[in-house]
Amino acid sequence: MGDQPLIDVDWILTNLGDPIGTSLLEHIKLSFLPILFGLLLALPLGVLSARWKPLYPPVLAGVNILYAIPSIALFFLVLPYTSFSMWTAVIPLTLYTLAILVPNVVDGLGQVPDHVRQAATAMGFGPMRRLLQVDLPVAVPFVIAGLRIASVATISMVSVASLVGLGGLGQLILTEGFRNYKFLTPILVGIVLSVALAFLVDGLLVLLQRWLTPWTRDDSRKAARAAAPAPEGDPA
Amino acid sequence: MITFERVSKRFPDGTVAVASLDLEIPTGRTTVFVGPSGCGKTTSLRMINRMVDPTDGVISIDGADVRGKDPAELRRTIGYVIQQAGLFPHRTIIDNIATVPFLLGWSKAKAHARARELMELVGLLPEQARRYPHQLSGGQQQRVGVARALAADPPVLLMDEPFSAVDPVVRASLQEELLRLQAELHKTIVFVTHDIEEAVKLGDSVAVFRPGGHLAQVDHPERLLAVPADDFVEGFIGYDRGVRRLSFFRADALPLRSDIVLGEEDTVARARETVRAHGEPWVLVVHADRTPKGWLGEPALTAAEPDALLGSLATDPYGHVFRVAEDSLRSALDASVLSPAGRAVGVDAQGQVVGVVAQSELGSAIWSVGGEESDPAERGAVGSDG
Ligand SMILES: Nc1ncnc2c1ncn2[C@@H]1O[C@H](COP(=O)(O)OP(=O)(O)OP(=O)(O)O)[C@@H](O)[C@H]1O
Ligand SMILES: [Mg+2]
Repeated sequence: MGDQPLIDVDWILTNLGDPIGTSLLEHIKLSFLPILFGLLLALPLGVLSARWKPLYPPVLAGVNILYAIPSIALFFLVLPYTSFSMWTAVIPLTLYTLAILVPNVVDGLGQVPDHVRQAATAMGFGPMRRLLQVDLPVAVPFVIAGLRIASVATISMVSVASLVGLGGLGQLILTEGFRNYKFLTPILVGIVLSVALAFLVDGLLVLLQRWLTPWTRDDSRKAARAAAPAPEGDPA
Repeated sequence: MITFERVSKRFPDGTVAVASLDLEIPTGRTTVFVGPSGCGKTTSLRMINRMVDPTDGVISIDGADVRGKDPAELRRTIGYVIQQAGLFPHRTIIDNIATVPFLLGWSKAKAHARARELMELVGLLPEQARRYPHQLSGGQQQRVGVARALAADPPVLLMDEPFSAVDPVVRASLQEELLRLQAELHKTIVFVTHDIEEAVKLGDSVAVFRPGGHLAQVDHPERLLAVPADDFVEGFIGYDRGVRRLSFFRADALPLRSDIVLGEEDTVARARETVRAHGEPWVLVVHADRTPKGWLGEPALTAAEPDALLGSLATDPYGHVFRVAEDSLRSALDASVLSPAGRAVGVDAQGQVVGVVAQSELGSAIWSVGGEESDPAERGAVGSDG
């Protein structure tokens, strides 16, 4: 890399649209979809596990085992079925989010104190209405705490997907940076954009929580600072 | 009327929580379930709104078997208040109170208007409407719980130890509040507690449960204190039931004497004459407006100049007074025990002295209501709304 400057502004300006902009958009798509699908899967899994307790240990073991599989291996495992479509990245990343989201949904659903649940039943709430109007709203801080961890993890993991030829900022780092030129600028741009994206998404989720849960706003109650413990092992 | 007919509840693990309960709970009155822990009070209460279904027997409200109704719909017609209030942490106070109206499909405006009305009724401030439950004290949360239970104006109100998690001062004020509400609303209230004082204070009738889910006695609280059905009930009620029972008898039947009540402008000579004529060692001195000033005893009168005015002498404090029209024999007895003269001072609503009663006369009044055969109805018993 020798005498070249750390940041080549000219390169950034000429490549702003493509590949920088397109990689960023691809990165956003490749991380947003797994988080969305992960949430859509984790909610019913979590609700079922919370309602029917014996289901929880096997579900938890299942999502943790998935999380323990190295991401590279998982990408290559799904590759024969999905070839080089975005699903090769989206499916493994979705599965990884479950290890974070499912326990958070289950914990969140357990936050409603027993006396509140009994009061709801005594006032004439059926099970479905109670789930939608009491259990889920109270679980929101926990679910969002899980989403924050899952989104940061996913945004960082998407880069690895470029190793199997999928786009995103990892592609920028890999092809523009290492392979083509051994050139530092694309690598730095990729890192900065990836970190910035993670911060931005985290900030948006905090705002979303404040908007969704006004009752936690002005106090230091447990639910408000619900910290989600990260599962063991890092697949990235 | 809520009727229990040979109702039993055996849980799947074999625990018999309620054993063949027969009970009638009259409409518009407060019935209290009391008894030691684990004797089936909560289970009995919850069988009324079908949170628990009996294994045997029939529970009916106004003749209709509760099992003939959809549980969710039945529950919307029965208010329910529990110990920790059970408020929704994610809903504002006003939305918590409007819960059942919302379930019944009322418009938001109508439900909120009703909730505001109830906030006022239970003594909450309008500015608390937009707060969340954790921003209220335990006592205030309990008021919200009561307001929420009343929101859809249900004829029946079930209350399971609603006031046992708050401190004694707040508890006493919540109890007063409930008595005031009930005097106005006339709900059919079933109230569970393990505190016999609370049961006697709030209940129009008190059902004492014994362990194993058996009913030991159902009675008017005064009768319960006068004639416990057996050793278990007597032991549960406690040792001073005789004195506590006096709170059910009005003080207005006491023979009050005003002949030993003198004014500040009367002379010591006149007071000595009064003492001699009535054989009473004390006179009560009153101000010009007839509010009490204090007691003068025979030794103090003997030591004073005969033409001195009573207003110029130092008197012994008169202590507590009792309000003749409202207070009970228990208050009068208390006032006399605390009085330096051993005599209780009775006043009217304006605080003016009506007369005094000596312990001996108080004693005969107590004796006359003390017989186990006495009937409070004939002797001017103090009702719970009196
Ligand atoms: N769901 C249940 N399964 C098994 N046993 C139960 C259940 N609910 C209550 N019991 C048992 O039934 C008995 C009566 O319980 P209940 O809650 O009615 O008592 P209680 O009079 O309300 O007591 P406390 O004053 O402590 O609230 C107890 O022995 C209790 O352990
Ligand atoms: Mg109980």
